[in-house]
This record gives sequence, C-alpha cells and structure tokens, in this order.
Amino acid sequence: MENLTIRREGGALLLKYAGEITLEMTGDLKRRLDRELGEGDVAVVVIDLSAVPFMDSSGIGLLVSVNTRMKSAGKAFYLYQLSPAVEKTLGLVQLIGFFTVLPDQAALAGVCG
Amino acid sequence: MERAVTRKVFRTISHPGDSRRLAKEVVDYLAGHVADGDILHDLDIILTEACANVCRHAYGGEPGPLEVRLAVTPGAWIELEIVDWGQGFGSGVRFENPGPDAEGGRGMYIMRMLASDCRVQRRDGENVVFIHKDIGAAQWKT
Repeated sequence: MENLTIRREGGALLLKYAGEITLEMTGDLKRRLDRELGEGDVAVVVIDLSAVPFMDSSGIGLLVSVNTRMKSAGKAFYLYQLSPAVEKTLGLVQLIGFFTVLPDQAALAGVCG
Repeated sequence: MERAVTRKVFRTISHPGDSRRLAKEVVDYLAGHVADGDILHDLDIILTEACANVCRHAYGGEPGPLEVRLAVTPGAWIELEIVDWGQGFGSGVRFENPGPDAEGGRGMYIMRMLASDCRVQRRDGENVVFIHKDIGAAQWKT
C-alpha cells in the first residue's frame, strides 16, 4: 500500500492514508494496522485523514473498530486533520464528537510524548 | 410544464472495486448536469453505500450483476434505482443510526439522510433501492 505512511514517535503510531477509504480498502488497512499493533508497545494511535477525498460507512466502521480496540486496552486513539469529505461523512452519523480529533500540530505533538 | 426526463442505465459485476467504479461512473455522468459539488458528493455517497451493500450482501458475499438506473429531470430532481438479483433485503433493513460503537449498519441511514426519499423494494425477482433527490434550480448547470 504505497499510499499508506506509517511512523512511530515514542509510543505513538501515526498513520496517514492518501486516497479513498471504501470497502475496497478497509480490509487491507485493518490488516496492516493489526500487524503494526502487534509489533512493539503502542500506547497511542493517530490516524491522519487530511488526504482522504472520500470515505464511506466501511471507513467509519474501521475507525470505530480501532477506537474500540485501543480504548478497551486502556490506550488512546485520535483522529488528526479531517478532510472536508471525512468531516461530512462522520457528521452525517453524528460521530464527530465521539472521536477525539486533534486540531493542530501542537495537539499532535502533545500526544506523541 | 412537463419537463423531459433523461434515462440511463449503468451495469457492472459487484466486486468491491468495480462497485465503487460504477458509482463514480454515474457521478461523473451526473456532473454533466449538476453544478453543485456538495450535491454530487451526496450522490456519490448514496451510490457507493448502495453498491457496497450489493457487494457485501446480495449474493452471499460473491460477485453478481449490479445495475444503476438513472432518471434525471434537469432543474428539478434525480432518481436512482440500485438493482440486484440476489437474496433480497428480507425484514432486516434498518434505517436508524446505530449506536456509536457499532462497526456496521450505517449505510441505509446515510442514504436516507442524503436523499429526499429512500425505499427498498422487491419486484419480479429484482431487489431495488429507490432514491429520489430534489435538487434546487440554482444547483444545475445551465
């Protein structure tokens, strides 16, 4: 998945996917994320959604599943920089407030300690 | 005044990638009629959700025929029928927004939110998601 950028900062795993998040992609993204979470100690997951021009309900399902997995392990999950399309899709199902969205780089740096 | 209706049919086989491409193809066509990008995005989401449902549920997870029938009355409305010949919706169609922790079940709710009217029908072996969307006169290309 050349559109997927993954980096680690301290105990944080930062993912950025550039492209549409639809049924076609969610399976691969979830498997890739599962593999990353199995390697080393990850206390925080951040997903950057700034370069996602389109997301459907399977993308919402992916975000919910990662959120549940992290929170049930007592860990943190954040979204970072929602594209307008992602903001609209999450807004439609009233989930903007359900996730914690980091507004800027300072907030991002704050959770990557 | 009676306005002319333009009709067009799009077909594919419901693999995930092909289902998404079919939705895009319909939206690209509609971009010839509708100027408003936000409305085109609404239609893109509706079509993508409906086609993904066919992909996942209609033929027990296997690919099968998928058709989009489009009717456009420029200046007024768009109607979409997303059609498959699979096992049908049964009584399991839910239009409500599930709880925040649910990983699925939001597709029909999203379609209903973005359409003026959204119904599921079974007729003569066809399973049809019917969508009507009123679009204000100013949002169309002239």
